Amino acid sequence: MLAFQNKIGKGYVIASTYVSIAITLLIFIILFWYSFEAFKEIGWDLFTRNWNPATEEYGMLSMLYGTLMVTGIALLIAVPVGILTAIFTSEIIPKQYRLYIKSAIELLAGIPSIIYGLIGIAFFSTWISSWFDLASGRTLLTAGFLLAIMILPTIITLSDDAFFNIPKKYREASKGLGLYTYEVLQKTIWPLAKKNIAGAVLLALGRALGETMAVMLLVGSIDKIPDPFYQVTSPGQTITSKLGREVGESAFGSLHFSALNAIGFLLLLLVITLTIFTQIYFRKKQEVL
Amino acid sequence: MLLIIKTSFMRKIIILSVLALTIFACSEPKDDTISVAGSTTVLPVVSSAADLFMKQNPDSKIIVNAGGSGVGVNQLGSQRIEIGMISRDITKKEISQYPNTSFKTHAIGRDAVVPVVSSEIYNAGITSLTLDQLAKIYKGEISNWKELDGPDKEILVIDKEAARGTRHVFMEIVLGDKEAQAAGADLVLGANNEEQTALVQSDAALGILSNGWLNDDVKGLSIKMPDGTLIEPSLENIVTNKFPITRDLVLITNGTPTGKTKEFIDFILSPEGQEIVVKNGYVGISE
Amino acid sequence: MSRKLKNNLFKGSIYTASFLSIAMLLFLISTLIGKGVSAMSWEFLTSESSDFGSKGGIFYQIIGSLLLTLSAAIISFPLALGMAIYKSEYIRKNAFQNITNTLIYSLNGIPSIIFGIFGLIFFVNILNMGISWFVGGIILAIMILPTIILSSYQSINSIPVSYRENAASLGLTKWQVIHTTIIPRAINGGFTGLLIGLARAIGETAPIMFIATAFSGVTFPNSFLEPVSSLPTHILALAQQATNPQALQNAWGSSLVLIILVFIFSISALVRRVQYSKIKY
Repeated sequence: MLAFQNKIGKGYVIASTYVSIAITLLIFIILFWYSFEAFKEIGWDLFTRNWNPATEEYGMLSMLYGTLMVTGIALLIAVPVGILTAIFTSEIIPKQYRLYIKSAIELLAGIPSIIYGLIGIAFFSTWISSWFDLASGRTLLTAGFLLAIMILPTIITLSDDAFFNIPKKYREASKGLGLYTYEVLQKTIWPLAKKNIAGAVLLALGRALGETMAVMLLVGSIDKIPDPFYQVTSPGQTITSKLGREVGESAFGSLHFSALNAIGFLLLLLVITLTIFTQIYFRKKQEVL
Repeated sequence: MLLIIKTSFMRKIIILSVLALTIFACSEPKDDTISVAGSTTVLPVVSSAADLFMKQNPDSKIIVNAGGSGVGVNQLGSQRIEIGMISRDITKKEISQYPNTSFKTHAIGRDAVVPVVSSEIYNAGITSLTLDQLAKIYKGEISNWKELDGPDKEILVIDKEAARGTRHVFMEIVLGDKEAQAAGADLVLGANNEEQTALVQSDAALGILSNGWLNDDVKGLSIKMPDGTLIEPSLENIVTNKFPITRDLVLITNGTPTGKTKEFIDFILSPEGQEIVVKNGYVGISE
Repeated sequence: MSRKLKNNLFKGSIYTASFLSIAMLLFLISTLIGKGVSAMSWEFLTSESSDFGSKGGIFYQIIGSLLLTLSAAIISFPLALGMAIYKSEYIRKNAFQNITNTLIYSLNGIPSIIFGIFGLIFFVNILNMGISWFVGGIILAIMILPTIILSSYQSINSIPVSYRENAASLGLTKWQVIHTTIIPRAINGGFTGLLIGLARAIGETAPIMFIATAFSGVTFPNSFLEPVSSLPTHILALAQQATNPQALQNAWGSSLVLIILVFIFSISALVRRVQYSKIKY
């Protein structure tokens, strides 16, 4: 009886592991399989500008540009604001309040992305269009800005942890030398916290790259690179937005569907590479404080 | 101790939920659930009709989804739904993609595709355009309203997703090719709803909308014919086919419909159903 | 630039940044609660939706969301638990640990729309399950698997080796050891992870958008293979009509309900984590 139970137990545990591993691999394999046709037929033409299913042209450059640009804007806004705010919560706020503010910020991180999309359409797109006097508030900038708001809580929380976990002795030693707060942070705290904060930024980057709903509603969904290319107050397209809007419209198994899978696969590669890189980066760091 | 109690409590909850789930998942699967999906132009009609039909036939179930005409064709083609809603013709390419499905069409109403502008533009005097002017705007050759004797504002050209019925019909007449690319487009949106929202939010927009969606903030332009006559997007002009951009609102099925599917389609074609068509701003099919 | 000036500039930027963050926080909270509350009523919560969602309530959307999360929980929990136990009890070699870690983190990082596409290809088409809520549950389960595995693993890891040694010295077999000492804690940690995962799952739109949900006409599904409606997809439909005040109001109402559900899950998880951290071995 005992031996039997032992076997079942072991079997269950092994089976669940293999199922979990199989699923992860399956996702990759299936996505690649279904994008294979596009890679074969279209090849390097995938990296052109024109996307037109009717003429079987599938150039994804504008989507790639949009994804990178929107993510870039998000990081540009959220990283400085986030880190500075984290310094505020970890160094300046009295200990009792820190927990409350941190919890409030963490709860913010749990707000579903579609709600950010709603807020974007109801408020931010009109604000941005009147602020910059634009014809439409659905732009790369709007999407980037909203993404920034979405990843801000993550950056704040993790950076705050990074700062908070540095033992008091470092600060006290620096203060004892007569350094200003700024110098204490720059010369002592920052080098120690740097790695963890980098990890937080990478995490936020991963989330920003894969975000669909808010971006889909706000980016304008036009397959074009703005002219001039840095004019982020124009509408554009991202990989996630394209997928969200067109997957339902394409016939399953067609070249169109395969092309969509192809850009999805590229996004997947991008995000997974980032994740694995983050993991290795963190494994190396085993600093003892 | 506390942990173990919690564990068995949780186990009970889990077991109960599994039981509940299984019970109600295994209750008689209604095989005559009718799934419908497709054009957002046809959607309001079918949705209301479904509500009414289900009230009158309590043992029927009709599930309706949006997605656009393209989705309607794709889903019916892959035989996942019983009825597709489209507001354009099925393309040859689409037919060839689904060799195992024989598409049968049932027109249930008529509608116009109207070039629409934000109310500010309409009130500033632009109340009609020629087909040629529309073409130029969508091709990017005209980009400011002042080129059309309007206010000095950049035209916000709103385009639709490529497989949408409303777009196909419009582009066929205006650019001569239903799948033509619009080089002058600034935004690409999806459902009629979304288009309408963007037009309201802007004060210089031009878009493509179904006649049933016009309102005070979204004004439909009349088409100026080559001989100078202005044709308004009125219901009359749709009935008499005078408005140059009109289309049938169509339900598609795989082969001839039978059973509840047939009943539902018949219902929409009945006077009661046609009343719903008219109430939504379209024209009935028999007129 | 003098040292003092630099310091003051720095302080200034800290306060500016924090002010912006907190202002944003307050804006979000006040909007979501303020606008959401004005849309709430008993009727709203218990009636059906109609007319593209601009009229009526969100009863079936709530049911659908709960159904999806419940099925995700039931499917993912045993799998995650098993994997966590395997990882901690049966895998010795570091290399294998690293590989499984990598796989788990990779799964966690996959964008939600990719899950949707995967579900579309594999379940809806290849396995021909059609657009069904059950498929939605499976996909959401896959999505939250890493969260539960990690949480469960963490709590297993916190069990001192002495517990296992004691059990083994009593002559228990490996599985008995696991059964008595490890599983209860694994379940505990896993359940916390489950709550965290569900908080995320209930708000996701992209994975279920084209594989599990429908727009109207859905009440209770009668079988495993029917679509349901859900709160996030409903909000999506409403967001596309943002200039229709009635629709917009319903959107806020639905958002508030969704957020409340999310918070119920995440606050429960938080409470458990705090409680749990107080346990000393």
